[in-house]
Amino acid sequence: MNHKNIDNIIELSNELRWQIGDDFHDNLTESIYADAADIVKDSVQIENSQRRFRLDARIDKIVTSKTFGFPIMFLILGIVLWLTIIGANYPSSLLADILLDTIHPSLKSGAASIQMPWWLSGFLIDGVYLAVAWVIAVMLPPMAIFFPMFTLLEDFGYLPRVAFNLDNLFKKSGAHGKQALTMSMGFGCNAAGVVATRIIDSPRERLIAIITNNFSLCNGRWPTQILIATIFIGALVPSAVSSLAALLAVIGIALLGMVFMFAVSWVLSKTVLKGEVSTFNLELPPYRPPRFWKTIYTSLIDRTLIVLWRAVVFAAPAGAVIWLISNIYIGNESIAAWAIHSFDGFGFILGLNGVILLAYIVAIPANEIVIPTILMLTVLVTGISAGSGAGVMFELDSVNATADILKAGGWTLLTAINLMLFSLLHNPCSTTIYTIYKETKSIKWTVFASVMPVVLGFIVTFLVAQFWRLLA
Amino acid sequence: MDAKLKSTCETCAHFNADGLKKLGIRTDNFDFVVALAGNPNTGKSTVFNALTGLRQHTGNWPGKTVTRAEGGFEYNNQKYKLVDLPGTYSLLSTSEDEEAARDFILFGKPNVTVIVVDANRLERNLNLVLQILEITDKAVLCLNLMDEAKRNNISIDQRTLSRDLGIPVVAASARYNEGIPELIHTISEVVNGTIICKPHRIKNVPENIEVAVKKLTTEIEKEFPNIPNSRWIAFRLLEGDAQIIKALKQGELV
Amino acid sequence: MAYNPITALILFFVFSALLYVLFRPVKGWFWIFKKNVSSNEKIIIEDILKQLYHFENSGNKVDMKTLVQVLDFNNNRIVEAIKKMTINDLIYFESDVLKLTESGREYALRIVRVHRLWERYLADRTGFSKTEWHDRAELMEHQLSHDETEKLAAHLGNPKYDPHGDPIPTKTGKIAKVKGVELPLLSVNTVGRITHIEDEPEVIYKQILAENIHIGSLLRVIENNTTRIVFESEGEEFKLAPIVAANLTVAPIEKEVVLEDNIARLSGLKENETAKIIGISKESRGESRRRLLDLGFVKGADITIDLLNPLGEPHAYLIKGTSIALRKNQAAKILIKKN
Repeated sequence: MNHKNIDNIIELSNELRWQIGDDFHDNLTESIYADAADIVKDSVQIENSQRRFRLDARIDKIVTSKTFGFPIMFLILGIVLWLTIIGANYPSSLLADILLDTIHPSLKSGAASIQMPWWLSGFLIDGVYLAVAWVIAVMLPPMAIFFPMFTLLEDFGYLPRVAFNLDNLFKKSGAHGKQALTMSMGFGCNAAGVVATRIIDSPRERLIAIITNNFSLCNGRWPTQILIATIFIGALVPSAVSSLAALLAVIGIALLGMVFMFAVSWVLSKTVLKGEVSTFNLELPPYRPPRFWKTIYTSLIDRTLIVLWRAVVFAAPAGAVIWLISNIYIGNESIAAWAIHSFDGFGFILGLNGVILLAYIVAIPANEIVIPTILMLTVLVTGISAGSGAGVMFELDSVNATADILKAGGWTLLTAINLMLFSLLHNPCSTTIYTIYKETKSIKWTVFASVMPVVLGFIVTFLVAQFWRLLA
Repeated sequence: MDAKLKSTCETCAHFNADGLKKLGIRTDNFDFVVALAGNPNTGKSTVFNALTGLRQHTGNWPGKTVTRAEGGFEYNNQKYKLVDLPGTYSLLSTSEDEEAARDFILFGKPNVTVIVVDANRLERNLNLVLQILEITDKAVLCLNLMDEAKRNNISIDQRTLSRDLGIPVVAASARYNEGIPELIHTISEVVNGTIICKPHRIKNVPENIEVAVKKLTTEIEKEFPNIPNSRWIAFRLLEGDAQIIKALKQGELV
Repeated sequence: MAYNPITALILFFVFSALLYVLFRPVKGWFWIFKKNVSSNEKIIIEDILKQLYHFENSGNKVDMKTLVQVLDFNNNRIVEAIKKMTINDLIYFESDVLKLTESGREYALRIVRVHRLWERYLADRTGFSKTEWHDRAELMEHQLSHDETEKLAAHLGNPKYDPHGDPIPTKTGKIAKVKGVELPLLSVNTVGRITHIEDEPEVIYKQILAENIHIGSLLRVIENNTTRIVFESEGEEFKLAPIVAANLTVAPIEKEVVLEDNIARLSGLKENETAKIIGISKESRGESRRRLLDLGFVKGADITIDLLNPLGEPHAYLIKGTSIALRKNQAAKILIKKN
């Protein structure tokens, strides 16, 4: 190959470009569309070409109307979340019965009968197996309900209309209307929400959506919120309205998450992300009736199982770590106890405690195991008799019994409120971190997206704790 | 596969679809590579699934397939690898999707590119079609969503369209598997040389640009006599496409 | 120190305030310190050359006093730099007046080239807002080497003009002239095209931006007196103070051109009106512009409003059989002719 000739060609192209001016791209696109129009004129016959197809137009008028647009949207979101939370309860407790209460003990006795050494069975069964089982029991049912419903709405074509309706709100915080959908997806699972940001084709807005997705309270965190709110917030009011108070508290936390999402989006778009390219376009595709069973099948395979698999991969080593730190001793203290004591001071300043901080560190892989880990660690350091031994996570059927353990661990209303806040504002789980890295291919943004929420969490819980103590 | 009846009806697409074997993701030892391109929301992934028997998820939502999906099928004892490219409106901009789609058509050298278009929005879709026809000369147009078009009172003269574009046109409703056997048959005819494409080249170019393009094309053809898409490369050079300049220098375009 | 919520809060706020003072954008001490450390002799010399070039171009004479006034450096360092520049044959004195030598002029043009190329780069390939382009280019013009500049130029497709309409000097030091005169010099009823929008001083530039005046647009002067200048452009009416209007350069169109009545911006289209697209304003650049073109917003396309938004924007427009939502500021950059 003759390099000189190629250089000449490129030189010639530069010179010609200078001659024809800056409008080349415009001209070329116009030519192509002009050709397209000619061809279409030859071969296509349409009655009334500019009219959009009637049924579509009629649906659109309703779902984007001033009167009905927003009520329809909130109604649908409400139904989806309600079905997910209520519908997941039964399969979740069924799975817990099987995986945690039936298989786990029989695995243990099986291990005992083949005389497996205690440390091996502890490590494998109490550590790895238990963490994986827990993640599956808590995570699988809500995802298996939430994602198919979401996918059905998506296939029908409703979701772009939601983005259209809400875009102005998001525009004000420098984001894209489609972030409304990735945010909603985050209520199911942040990792799935991050993957869903692919629909945003503007680089700046996509990064904003990825970084702020963690402010959507995900499935793994709902149970924690509900449990703590029931124990501590529900107890503040007469028992007749206690479950309502707890529910309102949890909804309040979820709404606070959305407030943070908007605020952080705004700050990001004005500061670190202001140099990223920002474009906007939103196509409203025609409505198409979804094919029900096919959608259910593909959404289970594509979204639910892939995310579940990633979560399991990360949960397994976490279970091992939890068991190990509770069973390896330095001097006469386990690593867990030692860590809890050293975190206690910092935890106190934040209105939390060492147990919570350690639980959030070892439970980075999955928010689902935070509560079982907290219970186990509390029992470990307080020495009350509950659970089934060091490093074995557990949960209790009775809310009262759980409350007793937490109160024995020194929990107050402040601890509970700050735990709820910290559960909203902390680093994403490792599945999500990994997904952020895969989507952005940037270590910088991955680190930023992981550290920023936890710093925010420290600041918020710190401020709440100080003012609480000043005023109480 | 049933070989004994073949002689009776070689060209009948419906019949020959019996010679179809969906291979799912098993794509080793293929004879031909088929690229699947198209705008977002044209049912491209439905066509992909209908051809391969896979169940790739597609949302009613532009820009869904970002990762490239691959699948395979076997027809008349020839194995085809099918590559589903990201749905794009154009190949002229520089977004990740468009680059991926363009690079595959350009460097992946598929034996044929199937372009899926929405029959209801043909004019808009032709923007991408005409760009692809500048890059490759082996292509098949799949007029998808014909069922919707019928409902919307849109009728398309496939013969004229095929003549204007210079490539075979197949009408289909991939959701209901209509037109898929014909599509497969047409693909096989193109890759085996039974159908020769004479693709449309962009015409309505302003005078001054056409002159510049001609000059550049002549120079490029002097250097690379066998290059099939010199005009398209000239377009890209005039746009200052750094990637194409690099590819040209490294001789990857021939 | 014993824990006490008040001390903890005080410590926290002192620490936050410190971080703010150090790192707040532009005026943070850290950034100021960093800038001072790096403003070495090369930067001073290049800034002097650039100032001289601009003064000479506008036909003004510069002595040491004016130079010291316009430059934001320590006086001694300026004197020091001037000495060095005379020795190196970049400038010379004609009595009191400072002048560029031939090589000084070449050097100055190179700085201007980098500055304008970089502004073009920021406009086309990044999302920085218009008000930031100038300051960022001021920094970058001292940093790019010759090779990097040429690479950048090739990458951008060797553009002729920067985003404000200023010509970019070529590699060989050729520079085109901006056509046109300052807007206040035009008489009533003159039709012209905006060819340049000056981005300094920033206060005035921000006013022009707030008015949504677009470079490359046609206008007709309606009123011109000492208090205000009124003109119509793209179906809208603009009123400017003369001092603001002086920062717009307009090339009058000699031939008898009538500004058509039904030209408007797409943002001015009402429900149930139909229109044809005339083109996209030069203000829409880079990726955004290419997207609009790809989506079919090309000359001659028919367009109507498909859906209004419950929150006011974006509207969805029906174009080539598809409904596409655009925000108001995008629609303002698409020109239409109402039917």
